[in-house]
Amino acid sequence: MRFLVVDDSSTMRRIIINTLNKLGYQDFVEASNGREGIDRLGSGSVDMIITDWNMPEMNGIDFIKAVRGQATSKDVPVLMVTTNAAKDDIVEALRAGVNNYVVKPFTAETIKEKIDAVLAAK
Amino acid sequence: MGPTIVDTLVDTLTKSTEEVFETMVFRTLTSLLPIEGDALRPQSNVVGTVGFAGGASGLVAFYSTLDAAREIAGSMLGMEPADVKGEMADAIGEITNMIAGSFRTKMAQSGHQWAISVPTVTVGSDFYIKPLVTGRRVLIPFKMDSHEVFVELIMTEPSES
Repeated sequence: MRFLVVDDSSTMRRIIINTLNKLGYQDFVEASNGREGIDRLGSGSVDMIITDWNMPEMNGIDFIKAVRGQATSKDVPVLMVTTNAAKDDIVEALRAGVNNYVVKPFTAETIKEKIDAVLAAK
Repeated sequence: MGPTIVDTLVDTLTKSTEEVFETMVFRTLTSLLPIEGDALRPQSNVVGTVGFAGGASGLVAFYSTLDAAREIAGSMLGMEPADVKGEMADAIGEITNMIAGSFRTKMAQSGHQWAISVPTVTVGSDFYIKPLVTGRRVLIPFKMDSHEVFVELIMTEPSES
């Protein structure tokens, strides 16, 4: 299973990838903002996207809208990992097309639960 | 008399900081008595800041020494502190971002709506943050093993609503 991890913080990308490694996942591509994320999607298949919200150039919400607007990626599950945790934020993210939502700080168990929930709903 | 809004803010920021360290740095912090005003200027070489604006405005600052910052970054990234180089600033920015984000979320539950900025990190020596607004500043010291780290709340006079 291949993940696209999109976050402007290299620390957070590394933490997410380390967490996924612990959960037994091995295949990742990385991007530091939504625009790079779109480029990475164009260069190979991805089974799940994990993205931040607040990023330069193209933020997570605009990125998800772009993902949902492309025939090749419109059905790829998206998990948003962010500090934006107000109710309005979550509603906005779900409207943009997020499948599930993780609030930072998070544990490996939380990431596992959310990935499992997204895969079960496919 | 119940807790003031400043007590609530400091308590919430303390809890947010402890939670972020427990979950993402795998370290238990021990909070010490908060200090109001700017009498204590913590000795630090790494400062992360995140601004916020809304019903009140100001910033949340995280202070640590270089050694503590390397230990924090190493623990977050699964690296030896001695191997941490360029990753340190980004890691401290992310820690500050999570502390401020968690603080914002908790305060939103009691009706305080704020927007927060992206984090900035300053690495150096002999510098001091001086806000250009009148208001309050409260410094919260924490023990992290043999290190001391600090979180400061600097803000315009908060309303009780």
